Amino acid sequence: MVCPPEVRAGHRADRVLREFGLMLGALPPAARKALATALAVLDQGARLYPPSRGRRFARLDDRVASAYVGALLARRDPAGEVVRRLKSVVVTCYYELPEVQREIGYDPAPYIAAVSRRRLGSYGPQIRAGEAAVTAPADGEKP
Amino acid sequence: MISGLTTQDAVAEDLSLECGALIVGSGAGGATMAAELAEAGVDVVVLEEGGYHPTESFGAGTGRALRTLYRDGGGGMAIGRPSVLYAEGRCVGGSTVVNGGMSWRTPEQVLRRWAGQEGLRAIGARDLDPYFATIETRLSVGPQDPETIGRDSELFKGGAEARGWAVVPNRRNQLHCAGTNNCSSGCPTGAKRSMLVTSVPRALALGARLFADCRVDRIIRSGPGVSGVTGHFVRRGGHRGPRLIVRARAVIVAGGAVQTPALLLRSGLRSPSGQLGRNLSVHPNAVVTAFFDQDVHGWQGVHQAFQVREFLADGLLLTATNLTPPMLAGIMPAYGRELGELMADYNRIVTAGPLVSDTGTGRIRNVPGLGPQVFYQLTDRDAARVVRGVELTAEALFAAGARRVLLPFDGAPQVRDPHELRRLLARPVPKRSLQLFSIHLMGTARMSEDPRRGVTGSFGDFHGVPGLIVTDASIFPGPVGINPMETVIALAMRNARRLIERRDSYRL
Repeated sequence: MVCPPEVRAGHRADRVLREFGLMLGALPPAARKALATALAVLDQGARLYPPSRGRRFARLDDRVASAYVGALLARRDPAGEVVRRLKSVVVTCYYELPEVQREIGYDPAPYIAAVSRRRLGSYGPQIRAGEAAVTAPADGEKP
Repeated sequence: MISGLTTQDAVAEDLSLECGALIVGSGAGGATMAAELAEAGVDVVVLEEGGYHPTESFGAGTGRALRTLYRDGGGGMAIGRPSVLYAEGRCVGGSTVVNGGMSWRTPEQVLRRWAGQEGLRAIGARDLDPYFATIETRLSVGPQDPETIGRDSELFKGGAEARGWAVVPNRRNQLHCAGTNNCSSGCPTGAKRSMLVTSVPRALALGARLFADCRVDRIIRSGPGVSGVTGHFVRRGGHRGPRLIVRARAVIVAGGAVQTPALLLRSGLRSPSGQLGRNLSVHPNAVVTAFFDQDVHGWQGVHQAFQVREFLADGLLLTATNLTPPMLAGIMPAYGRELGELMADYNRIVTAGPLVSDTGTGRIRNVPGLGPQVFYQLTDRDAARVVRGVELTAEALFAAGARRVLLPFDGAPQVRDPHELRRLLARPVPKRSLQLFSIHLMGTARMSEDPRRGVTGSFGDFHGVPGLIVTDASIFPGPVGINPMETVIALAMRNARRLIERRDSYRL
C-alpha cells in the first residue's frame, strides 16, 4: 500500500517482501521483535479504524487500506513515527529492485564501469604509485 | 586472504591471545593508531565487529551495503523530539568505508575553543598541522578532477554563487576519484582512500593482526587499570561464535561515539566527571529535494564536489548530496501513487541541505535487552538554525532553476518559488516536524585536562584508568562544525605518538 501501484506487476511484491526480510535480518534481535510487534499492531489496529468496519488491515480493500495508512502516517505521535519508519523501509526495498530503478532512469552499473575505465586510462601511473605508497616506509614524513 | 587478517569463518574454537596494544575498532581512529603503533614495532591486535569487505565486492546495491557495511542496517535512531536518524559504519575500515570522503583540517577557532575550555595541551593548529600534512599526503587529499563533478553539484554551486555566497571546492581523500557516486555503498574503484585501502593494509603489512567479525563484550579490569578484553566472533546471521580473550598492556578504544561509551559503561568503567556517554553532538542534517525541468542525472558524478561556506560562522554548512533511489524514496514525504509520481522525476532531482554545528547534547545509555540507545534533544536555537539552513538551501536551488522543492518538515506543502518559501517560513516550524539525520556523532568521552569535566585527558588517556586510551570522535570536546574524519585521524596520530614516546611505562 505504501509502494506505487506498479508493485503489483510481476512478482515485485514478493521480492519487496524478500528484501524487507533481509533488511530485518540486519537489525538486532530486539529491534526485529519490536518491528514484528509494530506490524502486528498495524494489522490488528485497523479494526479500530471506523471505515474498516472491524476488519484487519490485511483484509481491507485498496481504498480503505490507503486511507488507513494515510491516517497513520499523518499522526504526530510515536505511533505515527513507527509507521513512517516502516513505510521508509518498505519503499527503500521497492526502489532497490533493478527494474524499478531502470524505469526511473537509474542504471549505475554501466556508468560505474565506464568511469572506472576512464580513470585508469587517464591516471593509471599516478594511481599505481599512490597505491604502492600505502605500504611504503614513512621515512621523512613524520611530524 | 590478506596476511594478518582473520575472519570468523577461519576460527573454529575459542581463542586466547596476548599483545602489546589492543585496539577496538578499525575506522579512522583505530586503523590510524594501529598503523602508527605497528610502524614503531609495537605488537598490535585490532578487533573489528564488522566484516571484511574488499573493494571488489562493492557495487551499486544500496540494500546490500546497508546490511553488510552499516550497523543495524544504517537505521539507528537518536530518540528525542524530533528523533534523529543516524548511521554508523560497521566493517573493516569503519565509517570511512561509507562516508562521503570529505577531508578538512579542524578549523583553528574550534581548536582554540577546545584548548581554552578544557585546558588541552598540544592541540593548537601549529601542533596539528604536521599531522594534517602527513594525512593529506597519505590519503591523497585534494579537490576533484573536473571531469568527475556531477551536474547536481554544478547546479547547486551556480545557485549559491548567484546569491553571492562563498563556495569552495570540497577536499576529499581520493586518488583520482572516478565519480561513481557510490561513496555510501563502498567505493567500487578504491579511489576513496578509506582506512580499508590505506591504514588497515599498512598496519597489516607492518605486522599488526586484525580480527574481523569480532564483537568486544567487555574490557578486563586489573586493579585500577585494564589488562585486555573479552569478546566473541559473530557468525553469519548474527549468531554467536567462539569466544576470544586478548591480554594487552594497553587497550585503545575506537568504536565511535556510540559504541565506545557503551563498551566502557558495560565494562563497569566510570568517569569521575560523570560525563561518560554524555555531551553527544550529532551535526543534524536535513535534505531539501528540488525538481528541475532539465535532466540532472545527479548520480553521474561525485557528490558534494563543493561546499557553501558563507554561513560557517553561523554554524551552517550547505552542500548537494545525491541520494540513490532507495535512500531518496525512504525520506520522501509521500507514499503509494504520489510517491511513484515524485520518483518518476528522479533524473531531474537535486538533493541538498545544511549541516548544523549543534549546541544540543545527547546521551548514550545501555538499556537492558536493547543494548546501547541514543537520546538527543535538539535545542530551540539549533532547530531555528536547521530551518534557516533549509531556507538558504532552497533559495540556492531556486536560484539554480528549481521549479519546486520539498522541505524536510512533516506535512509541509510543495513550494514553487522563493515567495512561497518566505510565506511558509514566516510561520514557526514546529521543532518536532523536522526530519533530521546524522552521520557525525561526537563528544561522548570528551577530552579535558580537568578530570571533573572530561572523561579523557589531552591525549585520549582515560582519567584514572592507567592503560586505557580512547581515540575516536568520542573525545571531541564539542562539535567540530565540519566533516570530522581528518580531525579523528590527526588526533589518533598524535595520541599514537604520545603512546610511543611513553612506551616504556606501558611496557610496549
